[in-house]
Amino acid sequence: MLYAQALPNAFSQDYDFDIPQEEEAKIEFNGNLDAKWGLLQTRKSSPFYGLQFYDNPEKSDYLSQYRLDFYLDGAYRHKKVGFFMKTFYQYAKEEPLSPSFFELHGSLNLSPRLSLSVGKRRFNWGKGYAFNPVGYVNAEKDPENPDLALAGKTSVYINYNRSFTSDYVQNFSLGAILLPPEAEINEKFEDADKIGAAFKLYFLLKNIDIDFMTVLKKDEPRRVGLDFSTNLKESLEIHAEFSHANNETKYYIVDDFISQHKKDSESYLLGLRYLNRFNTTLIAEYYHNEAGLSKNEFTSYANYLHNSLESNNSEMIRLSKQNMSTVFRSKTLMQNYLYLKLTQPEPFSWLYSTMSIFTIFNLEDSSFLLSPQLSYKPYTNYEVLLWPILFIGENNTEYGSKQFENKIDIWMRFHF
Amino acid sequence: MRKNIIWIVFIFSILSVNVWSQENGASEEDGNVILKKVDENLMPESFESYRKLINEEPDGSKKEFIFFTVKKGKDKVAMLYISPASEKGRATLRLGDNMWLYIPNVGKPIRITSMQSVVGGVFNNSDIMRLDYSVEYEATIFEQNNSLYILDLKAKTQTVAYDKLKMWVDKKNTMVTKVECYTASGTLIKTLDFKNLKDFGDGIMRPAVIETSSPLNKGYRSLMIYSQVKPRKLQDEVFTLEYLSRIGELRLD
Repeated sequence: MLYAQALPNAFSQDYDFDIPQEEEAKIEFNGNLDAKWGLLQTRKSSPFYGLQFYDNPEKSDYLSQYRLDFYLDGAYRHKKVGFFMKTFYQYAKEEPLSPSFFELHGSLNLSPRLSLSVGKRRFNWGKGYAFNPVGYVNAEKDPENPDLALAGKTSVYINYNRSFTSDYVQNFSLGAILLPPEAEINEKFEDADKIGAAFKLYFLLKNIDIDFMTVLKKDEPRRVGLDFSTNLKESLEIHAEFSHANNETKYYIVDDFISQHKKDSESYLLGLRYLNRFNTTLIAEYYHNEAGLSKNEFTSYANYLHNSLESNNSEMIRLSKQNMSTVFRSKTLMQNYLYLKLTQPEPFSWLYSTMSIFTIFNLEDSSFLLSPQLSYKPYTNYEVLLWPILFIGENNTEYGSKQFENKIDIWMRFHF
Repeated sequence: MRKNIIWIVFIFSILSVNVWSQENGASEEDGNVILKKVDENLMPESFESYRKLINEEPDGSKKEFIFFTVKKGKDKVAMLYISPASEKGRATLRLGDNMWLYIPNVGKPIRITSMQSVVGGVFNNSDIMRLDYSVEYEATIFEQNNSLYILDLKAKTQTVAYDKLKMWVDKKNTMVTKVECYTASGTLIKTLDFKNLKDFGDGIMRPAVIETSSPLNKGYRSLMIYSQVKPRKLQDEVFTLEYLSRIGELRLD
């Protein structure tokens, strides 16, 4: 058993390396360029398709789409003061590009215990991967692509953070966010009493992450919620979210007219992540949203869109399109969903590749989307992604009435 | 006479068991003392370091990552990815058995497990964000000679990444030279070779290179190179989810 440890040197390179220096004050840029090409099979029977392409009646069964998404991040830090921006440009045709500021904020980080930021910044509350019932200050997440960078919120944020040497509470933090509304008066001003506030209290309690949160805004329901996550076993994590809203407005269609009523409603999420010995990760989440549409209510909504389209009345069509993008804009319109995702890095010993498949199953109407993905990273800072999505379901079901039956995207991503 | 012989045999048996237990106890105690010394020699109580991780693939190609790491006490580790650009800004945190990964685009830390590998290759998260060995393992001396100890390490809990380790320790400087990682059933998962003893200053002398290979990942090899290790006082709040996105600030201080 006792033998010399002299093994041949497997790596011939010099062991020393240069440490990238962090200067006291400098501005730094990085980001990525996503070149995306998509082929989409249209679903001409879909009212969503009919309304979106109403002004372009001559269409083939297949559409293609080419675009460039460019993200440019800039950061400046000097001692305790910092500045950060995340800009987004989308190029689809030759025309002047204007940036969308997803984030643009300054920060004053007085210590690891106390920090402050002012400006537009992104928050991501909740433990869920695909859905976040307690994401009161989050940008609306797309469950089809939960990792997509999204726009933040204009805010004033202050956080106090404290750790303890204890067998119970190891860490707690309290975050308070002031949320000024969008300027509507001369595009510069807004009523001061419309400023909202949100609070989150976090504990690491006996190896369990626990958050309590609330949001208070004039003319909007008061929401309170909690979430937690913990590892039950080394390879098994569970998480959950619960939210209660006072007087939440629910919109639905009755006899081709939009109706609404207010009632207290609850939404929740139960989820897990499991890693097996083959390095396969499973994410499973169940999401319930009491304020969402039932199967019959969705059918009424789809019929309303159909009827608007068939009326050929431009005003009705304009109104329907407007409702599609406002009161019915949610990516999860209905009440019960199941999300499942399996991810396998380097399947069949294919180096640098990752294979995954996910489904979002609508438990109300049994429609679903199914999406296998193949990612390949042959070089540092470069990735190519093949991403088909199939939308499956009967007529007047959520996924069975999507404007496209199938689509396939090819992404090439360059980081710098 | 026969009765006396029985009594003598009985008393001798009791004494033998007692002496064996004491020897065994002494061996266990010595093993843990050596293990604590190994931990002390590898890292100061609170420090920062820069590391480069190289993953070599079966086709000979390599992927490289540079990390900034801070550690405090026996069970608090935080790590920031400095390069390449595609990983820059990612950060991981470990508090005892808990591990989280922060991805800037996602904007919140998510729980990960120690057996996953966020960088691919043979090193998993528990190798890269390793706690002190003595926090996770009980040690006994398995074998020794004039120059080496071989310690048997058994995991204290089921949440530890490897059930058993076999550790080779140089007696001259109580420095680990090799570790073999096993499953509970005794299957070898990977081997870590500690090489290139280097003086980092501030009284820190430790192997600058850890090389690993695994019979489960034939053709893959990974290398972790320490370029800088220095003691540093750190607040406990540095090792929190709230601070994880700001960990790069420590490089400016």
